[in-house]
Order: sequence, then structure tokens, then C-alpha cells
Amino acid sequence: MAKTVNVNVHHVTRVEGHGNIVVNATDGQIEKVEWQVPEAPRFFEAMVRGRSYEDIQTIVSRICGICSITHSLASTKAVENAMGITVSEQADKVRILMHYSEQLQSHVLHVGYLVSPDLFGLPSVVPLAAKAPEVVMAVIRLHRLANEWSDLIAGRTTHPVTLKPGGMTKFPTEKELRQLQERLKNSVADLKAVAEAVLSVADKIPDFTRETEYVSLKQDNPPTYTFYHGDITSTDYDGTVAINDWKTVANEYVSDQSTAKWTKWHRSSYAVGALARYNNNAELLSPLAKDVAQMLGLTKGNCNPYMNNVAQIVECVHVVETSIGMIDELLTTGLKPETVKVSPKAGKASGCVEAPRGILFHEYEFDRKGNCVGADICIPTNQNHASIQDDFEKLVPEILDEGEDAIRLKMEMLVRSYDPCISCSTHMLDVQFVR
Amino acid sequence: MVLGLGNPLMADEGIGVHLIERLAPCAEQWPDVDFIDAGTGGMSVLYLIEGRQQALFIDCAFMGQEPGTIRRFTPDEVRSTKVLAHQSLHDADLLRILSLAEELGQCPERVVIFGIEPQVVEPRQGLSAVLLEQTEHYLAEILSELTA
Repeated sequence: MAKTVNVNVHHVTRVEGHGNIVVNATDGQIEKVEWQVPEAPRFFEAMVRGRSYEDIQTIVSRICGICSITHSLASTKAVENAMGITVSEQADKVRILMHYSEQLQSHVLHVGYLVSPDLFGLPSVVPLAAKAPEVVMAVIRLHRLANEWSDLIAGRTTHPVTLKPGGMTKFPTEKELRQLQERLKNSVADLKAVAEAVLSVADKIPDFTRETEYVSLKQDNPPTYTFYHGDITSTDYDGTVAINDWKTVANEYVSDQSTAKWTKWHRSSYAVGALARYNNNAELLSPLAKDVAQMLGLTKGNCNPYMNNVAQIVECVHVVETSIGMIDELLTTGLKPETVKVSPKAGKASGCVEAPRGILFHEYEFDRKGNCVGADICIPTNQNHASIQDDFEKLVPEILDEGEDAIRLKMEMLVRSYDPCISCSTHMLDVQFVR
Repeated sequence: MVLGLGNPLMADEGIGVHLIERLAPCAEQWPDVDFIDAGTGGMSVLYLIEGRQQALFIDCAFMGQEPGTIRRFTPDEVRSTKVLAHQSLHDADLLRILSLAEELGQCPERVVIFGIEPQVVEPRQGLSAVLLEQTEHYLAEILSELTA
């Protein structure tokens, strides 16, 4: 069969933002395989210049409507690092609890609404409701729990208002924490239902492997499956790199096929996200999360990018189970009111946390009044673009004889598996009257 | 419940949120009605409407009408012509979310949408003069629906 293929997906669906897929092959000869990102730059690094250290997190939170807590935390940590500000143990724990709510929210939305249609062979989640209503109901309940969890700790579902350099402006009450803990315990059944649903269609996850470098945070003291503290590591690197040295990891560069910068460390690309965290920290997962990983066939060292979504389900279980324990700790010590007073000073430093879709770096420099004089932000989706391209280049020759439709679907699924978050847009109705 | 949808940072696209801000002070007169700023929550509508008997949505809508026109309709009176509908969580489509809720048996018995034709949808705060001038008219239309 003559393998002449032309795939041109102008804007992949069910991802956040705009990305294109292009494949041209004639008589089995591949001429072009490209992952293109045509989004316009958004200049947040310029917007924060001249602004007070107190305003930074409020502004950069708006980079993303899905991982706004993550951007707020990364920037707040950078401010604190730059000015030598310390945070109380209780504020630290409550921030992690806040961060976990976003991990659950983002993963549930992505796997439940955007990835699941691929696995069930459907175009969107709407027909899935007819095929597997209990699973969709479980996803909606988990979505609601995650949003209301954010409301409680962050003050809002999106764009937190309880966070400030040096601590928190508001803590939840002990009664609210107990109520949250009860809801988290009750959500385990829904998490198991989602995991079992994915297991039932696990044969639809493409069998594809590419040796990949996986980069994530790693926390040794105490050993933790971390989203918040720690240093940078990779599956190609034995030690860790300090957060302030993140540029020696990311090595950002410009690619002709993308308006976003690309990154590379020990290879031509590296990947970040749930699978990267899992591959670097799997042994530190909570007990139930380990069980779910085993049930879904996820093992450390897995280099199938499509399994990132399985790792996301495992992480949902981990953050819920870990949060139940953290609330016990907070209730045992009791939450004490605290007043945060910060004196601004000149400094330059970075802050790093794990966004749901991978490691995130923020760097800021401040003058002695605490006004920002420079900023540099490196988001996880940028760090995955080169990896998506490398995956494409290995995947396409392997599936070239499967036909354009199958090639297109597998490539779209691959992009979606990375959970890319490319931009934001609006939501108006567009209708035609039929009656 | 009355849900206002939209993004106030995109001019008239935020009309639903603007009207909810105006309606909120009326909450005491309507103890059985919740006025909710659903913003650009997208799929969150799924759980916000769960268990409700009646839901009234206010949203900016391209309907091919004169800018500023308000039209009352039910989901079965229209079809979505939104090209990018349901492609991502940033681009949710209310009508598809309602059909998903219907499929799951979670849709309120009575759903009414008030669509308001925008004059300007672009990155800026504040409504266009055309919509601003008619705000009282919109509020009257919505409140009369509550007494219906």
C-alpha cells in the first residue's frame, strides 16, 4: 500500500489553547512531522515590572484559569525566597492543601471531560453520559468537591485571595476542615469508580514507548511525593539541582515552528507532568494511590506518554488520601491566628512548584522598595513541546500504514495526554433560532 | 436559581455577570431564588444546577439581532452554531452542557435563557452604551420571569 498521508489538524480539540499537527508523507517517505504552536505571546513578564511584590501573585495568577493556584504559589515562593521571608508551619501545610485541591480539579477535568471520550471512542463527553452515566456523575461530583475545596482554602475556585507573601490572610476553621475531611473520605468511592472505568478501556491506550527524560521536583527531607517543596531532578540525573538554578535545566531556546519557547536538558527534549513526577517519586505515593497504579498497570520507568493520564488518576487518589492525613495533623496541632508582617528588600530569586501539567518556574528581581525590576516565567507546557515533537517523530513511522484517520486520532490523543494548557479565551453563546 | 454567565473583561460578553451584580440586592425579595455569578465556570454549571427545580440563565448571545436586543428562549428553541464548541474547558458551550445534564437526569424541569445581543466583544472592562442604557429593561424582563 502506498503510504501517502496528509494530516493537517489546525487547532487540536480538547486541549487548552491552539496547537496544530502537520504530517506529510508520500509513498512511505515522511516529508514533514510537526507540532506547531501558533499562540501569541502574552507578556506577563513585562506586565509585572514596576509592580509591588504584594501584587505579583494576583497578576500572574491570571496566566491560567486552570492552574491559577499553582502560578500564585510559585510566584509567592519566589518573592519569599528573594526577600528571605519565612512561612509558619501551619501556613505551609494549608498552602499545600490548597495546592492539592487544584491538582484534583485539573486532573479530574482533564481525564474526565477531555481524555475519556478518546478512550470510550466518542467525540466528546456529551455522548459519554449516555454510555457511562455513573462514571460521568462521579466525575461531576469530584469536580464539585475540588472546586469547593479551593473555595474553602483559597477563598475562590480560581485566582486565590487568601495567599500573601509570608503566609495566609485567612485560615479555614477547624469545623470547616473536619467537613472537608469527611467529604474527601467520601470521595474515595468516586475515585475508585473513575479508575475502574479507565481500567475497563485500558486496551484503548496506545501501546507506544519512547525513552524519555522526565523532569520533576524531588523532596528528600522528609521524603515526599512532592508538588510543592524540594529541588529539581530528572530520570537522567542522579542528584538534584537547586530551584534558583532552573535555567541550567530548562535551557530555553526558540523553535521556528512555535511561538512558545522550547526546552532541553540531557537529551533533545524532556517531559514534565504527572508521569514525570511518578517516574521520579513513585515509591513515595500514598498506599491507595500505589494500589491504583498497580491496578492500572503503571510501573516506575514507564515511557509511554499516553500513560500520563493514568498517572493523573493515581495522583488524584494520592492528593485526596494525603490531604485526609494532613487535616488530621492540622486538627491535632490546632490552627492559631497569625499576623504576617513583611519588610520589602532588594533581591532576586526563583520559586518552583508542580503545576498539574508539570514543573513550573517563576523568577523575580526586586528593588529595595519591593518593586519588581525583572521577571522570567517558564511554564510546563513549554517544557513539553519538544517532547511532543520527539514523540511525533518516533510515533508516525510506526503507524504510517494505519490510515489518516487513525494517525490523526493517535497524534491528537498524544497531544491531549500531555494535558497542554496553551492559552485562555471567552465563552459566549452562538445560536440560530430553529423554532 | 438565576445564573449570570460571562467574562466582564470582554466588554458586553460580561452582561450576565453585570446583571447578577444588579440582581443580588433583590435576593431578600426572593428567598427561594439563588442569584449566582457563574462567570466563565463552564462545566461547573453541571453541578450548580444539580437538584434545582428551575434555572434561569443570563448570557451574551450572538443571535443575529440588533445589538442590545434581549430574547427569552428555551434550549429546545435554538441550536448552537458555535464553531469551536466543546473543544476545551475554556470554550464550554452552555447548550451542550445542558444536554449533558439532561442526559444524566440532572437538568432542572424548567430552563429559560435570556440572551442579550452584544455590540462589543473585545478585551476591555465595562458594557457598551447600547447595553448599559437598557440595563433597567433587562432587569425588568428577568424579574417578570421570576413572577411568572
